[in-house]
Amino acid sequence: MKAKVWGARGSIPTPGAETARYGGNTSCMQVTLSDGTLLVLDAGTGIRTLGLALGAVEGPVNILLTHLHLDHIQGLMFFAPCFNPDAEIVIWGPAAQDAPLLERIARYISAPLSPVEVRELPCRVSFREAVGSEWQVGPATVRACSVSHRGPTLGYRIEDAGTSLCYIPDHEPALGTPLDDLEDEWISGLGLARGADLLVHDAQYTDAEYPNHLGWGHSSLSDALGFARRAEVGRLLLFHHDPRHSDDFLDELGAEATQRWEADGGRPGSLELASERLDLVVEPTSPRVP
Amino acid sequence: MADSRPLQLILARNLLSSLSTPAFLVDADGNLLFFNDAAGALLGRRYEETGQMTADVWTATFGPFDEGGSPIPYDQVPLTTALRGNRPSHGGFRIRSAGGVEHAIEASALPLVGDQNFHGAIVVFWPKGGSAGEGGS
Repeated sequence: MKAKVWGARGSIPTPGAETARYGGNTSCMQVTLSDGTLLVLDAGTGIRTLGLALGAVEGPVNILLTHLHLDHIQGLMFFAPCFNPDAEIVIWGPAAQDAPLLERIARYISAPLSPVEVRELPCRVSFREAVGSEWQVGPATVRACSVSHRGPTLGYRIEDAGTSLCYIPDHEPALGTPLDDLEDEWISGLGLARGADLLVHDAQYTDAEYPNHLGWGHSSLSDALGFARRAEVGRLLLFHHDPRHSDDFLDELGAEATQRWEADGGRPGSLELASERLDLVVEPTSPRVP
Repeated sequence: MADSRPLQLILARNLLSSLSTPAFLVDADGNLLFFNDAAGALLGRRYEETGQMTADVWTATFGPFDEGGSPIPYDQVPLTTALRGNRPSHGGFRIRSAGGVEHAIEASALPLVGDQNFHGAIVVFWPKGGSAGEGGS
């Protein structure tokens, strides 16, 4: 299984010289399964450049939306395969009480926010709600689980050919109670992430910033590290960078994260900050300790 | 490691742990998953001491009892009504603390439904006036 980051920014796109290295596009990752099947994790603005890079697509494209906040769906109507009548797109996302997934996405892809309606997309598109469920996509087993964020939000785990990737880009597992005070079963998303070879996880705030954003649905650096440690993941990719964090700032944050991760038993080289166009090969890993 | 609990129970526990109102959390089978410090003060035991308890164990330990001191069958307490009918419920009964002190209380149970499943209930309770040192109705 391979993965590529097309957008790692949280909340809002941040183009500009100060964010050029880590990138300003919002959440999107490409996952290529062992048989070549394509999965797309979230449809932030990064999905636009993914669509351009893909060219012609064979077989259905499965897009797994964690939730419908704008930074996770904003690129959908600029995804080139959506305008290819030969393309088949399956969009997965969380269920909600008020309306089916199609209707909730159509609130964005409709007037006055969009010149195109969902029903006008030339591709063959379908919508599926994925709550508490597990299903097959090509050779992979995909599992979805509700996680702590504002509004209905999923994390995903993909298992393929003996490797596993867990994607929880928006997550506040320590809301209300420090992680150290909770047993494993009481930590949101921990079962989903347990033992993953690669965990892609929210690390939007520094520890100093977090108290002013309590309840906004995102993690501090300490909570991201603590969550990954408790889940005993093989490798950690810190994701969903705050729009105020410049490249230089993220360099410093990454250095601090690496130092703390390795001091706490993490294998050297097993933590990175996500940056656009970063290529990853998901390989079986032993737990964190070398 | 165990699987994570349903998110609705995780968030409910976080909420209860920050409340000064006595409250406990049960799962869909009536098992006592958590009670907060305020409830612990009334029951004479902290959650950290008891841990989770099955429905039979917690009802045998803490009650409920009727006004005459007889145990109320589990399927007749308001909590169970909420669990089985999937709707909120309110009622009064007596409980017994770990030290043997009985308290007359009122309790309100609120079912937790999410992801199209019933996951359990929050039960908030408080002593009726004069029966205990804190709260009052």
